[in-house]
Amino acid sequence: MYVKGLAAFAAAVGVGLLSGAAIAQEVKQEKQSVLGNANVSPVTQEQLNAADKNAKDFLLTNGNYAQTRFYPGKQIGRDNVKNLHVAWIFQTDVKESLETSPIVVDGVMYVTTSFSHVYALDAKTGQQLWHYAHKMGPITVYCCGPNNRGVQVLGDRVYLATLDSKLLALNAKTGEVVWTTNIADPELGYSETMAPTVVKDKVLIGTNGGEYGIRGFVRAYDAKTGKQLWNFNTIPENSVGVWATKDATGRDMHRNIQAEKDMLGKIGDPYAKLGGGVWQNPSVDLATNRIYFVVGNPSPDLDGSNRPGDNLYTNSLVSLDLDTGKYVCHFQYIAHDVWDLDAVSPTVLVDVKDKGGKSIPGVIHAGKTGHIYVHDRKDCSLIRFSEAMVPQENMWVLPTKEGARMLPGANGGVEWSPIATDPGQELAYAINLHQPMTYHVESSAYPNGKLWLGGAFKVIPSEKQSGNITAVNYNTGKIKWQVNTPEPMIGGILATAGGLVFTGEGNGKFAAYNSSNGKELWSFRAGAGVNAPPSSYMVGGKQYVVVGAGGNTQLDYKRGNNIIAFTLD
Amino acid sequence: MFGKLMIGGAALLLFAAEVRAETIEDKVQVCTGCHGENGKPVDKTIPTIWGQQAGYLYIQLRDFKRGDRKSEIMQPIATQFERDDMLAIAEYFSQKPWPDLGQPHAPKDVAAKAVAASASVGCPACHLDRFQGDGTVPRLAGMGRDYLAKTIADFRTRARGNNPGMSDLMLATSPDDLAALVEYLAGL
Repeated sequence: MYVKGLAAFAAAVGVGLLSGAAIAQEVKQEKQSVLGNANVSPVTQEQLNAADKNAKDFLLTNGNYAQTRFYPGKQIGRDNVKNLHVAWIFQTDVKESLETSPIVVDGVMYVTTSFSHVYALDAKTGQQLWHYAHKMGPITVYCCGPNNRGVQVLGDRVYLATLDSKLLALNAKTGEVVWTTNIADPELGYSETMAPTVVKDKVLIGTNGGEYGIRGFVRAYDAKTGKQLWNFNTIPENSVGVWATKDATGRDMHRNIQAEKDMLGKIGDPYAKLGGGVWQNPSVDLATNRIYFVVGNPSPDLDGSNRPGDNLYTNSLVSLDLDTGKYVCHFQYIAHDVWDLDAVSPTVLVDVKDKGGKSIPGVIHAGKTGHIYVHDRKDCSLIRFSEAMVPQENMWVLPTKEGARMLPGANGGVEWSPIATDPGQELAYAINLHQPMTYHVESSAYPNGKLWLGGAFKVIPSEKQSGNITAVNYNTGKIKWQVNTPEPMIGGILATAGGLVFTGEGNGKFAAYNSSNGKELWSFRAGAGVNAPPSSYMVGGKQYVVVGAGGNTQLDYKRGNNIIAFTLD
Repeated sequence: MFGKLMIGGAALLLFAAEVRAETIEDKVQVCTGCHGENGKPVDKTIPTIWGQQAGYLYIQLRDFKRGDRKSEIMQPIATQFERDDMLAIAEYFSQKPWPDLGQPHAPKDVAAKAVAASASVGCPACHLDRFQGDGTVPRLAGMGRDYLAKTIADFRTRARGNNPGMSDLMLATSPDDLAALVEYLAGL
């Protein structure tokens, strides 16, 4: 409790005046794990398969294996959402960026914090049941905050991936460690911030590190033992591709193909340190046994001079066979990216209309470019892309030493934030950033696992930033409605059968909107940035909406340590 | 200054042969010659290592040994250590209290300029809230002003060559803004 008291004191007097040592303790907890007892039933694969129809629990990071973030309960609806009030607030021990997607199983909630802590809470009261405080190794190398985006539960185990690149199985009842597996060497720039996806006794995990010259991957581990089952390198040994000169929308990317070919002749294929991190969960198509995910930027981010070729499969949608990890198909949005406008927001599986108007299984992804891309699930091909949700200017001007202005800025568009969908309305809901930036290029050799940006992207201080919530009809590509927000948005969004979408802002506002027209119906001020995806669940016959309010490291939004649950009277 | 460094170097040579047999306190004795008995460096261009992030200290020792970071003083010292020694030394100093160097807070206008410059290239995304650092990223809050200024200048010329990403970011930031950042960080 000392730590929480200190946090409250710091907030009261203004943290900037406190001594550094005290602040360090507040932010970087050295807390011990507290084992406890969460009376939870084991989660079966059948339950996970049917998560999209289950309004009682919130079993998967993005609601279900299709990752629709569409919650099927409707006790909280357009007429009564104005009566929503705080059910409870749980204060974690870590006051840093919160990106957790709360998982709810049988009245027990699992949330995570920065620095890879896990809490089991009573979903009705917010009472702590246990706390796993990960003993972090001294070497962590990560981009954009010490974040963790959540856990996944299968059987009686909770699966967690940590900042020091380990995969853990915890006892869901007590928080005790069942097994630990090293995923990759953090000294080379590997780290984990994503939630694992658990399916058919496999734990699926990607890796961060695209800013550090890693070679990215998606892997499956045995859920029972932690043994690796398969590995898919997101960068194939032949990463050159087809020398694409245009992006997915047909715009010229101003590549100097001859110079790249000359460089390829000199240095060979640059696959070994080409980046290609995977930041977010794959979607799982249970019918075809395939997974779909997106791969992030090449290393170094802004300097393409030493990485000739399309840099496959960076900035791409990729599909694999779930059982073997074998490649099925891919689609690259931006070949040879030098803007870090990569693919990070999780994929969503929905039925979509093909170009002839026929309904087919589709997969959609919201890009940092500000487009929602709609694909045929069969072969990953692009069916359409949406109108741009944010201003686009001067695309694709090449970065320069002095800095070249281009919109969107390097954070997007849509960052890692998951989108939500409402298939009944054929709408996808995305939160966007608008940050005018200049793109700068510098060239340097591979720095042994250190930050390797190949330049800088720089916010232009004199230009206004903003954000928006946008509803896009994925069958037409048209924007249905858009709500502008005063600051760039990062975190996530949830749609419900009650005709609502819930999302939060960096200024602490958390609000519900009419999902058909964007009208604001309710809001709350959390006191710290609400930059995490909301979840919803039922316990004791009542629907709750829960969200983390911990601010954001990447955009430096006000930090907090609150998990806040709301319900009706 | 130079004399003190020489003393440090001589102490090193004496202890290097028996590095395995010594306790951690013996091993770190050589460090105090420059980095200070009480955590306050003896010279303003020498960094604070008491209370610094363990991962960062380890990486610097590793890089001195590899020659990725150049220093006539530090390279021969680090060369004596194996990885486990480096990790132990890093852990030892990370557990010490961060010393207050008594540097004044930056004036409001300077702080505002520094915060804007920092936001522009995203310093807090790695150095975290209030520049406390974590893992392999150093704490900058309250670091010696002269060391900060020298390090930033060395990043800009790439004389400090073991983090080209930092060089890129410093080159994208104007000297004027960097001067404000030095004042601001030193006074945190």
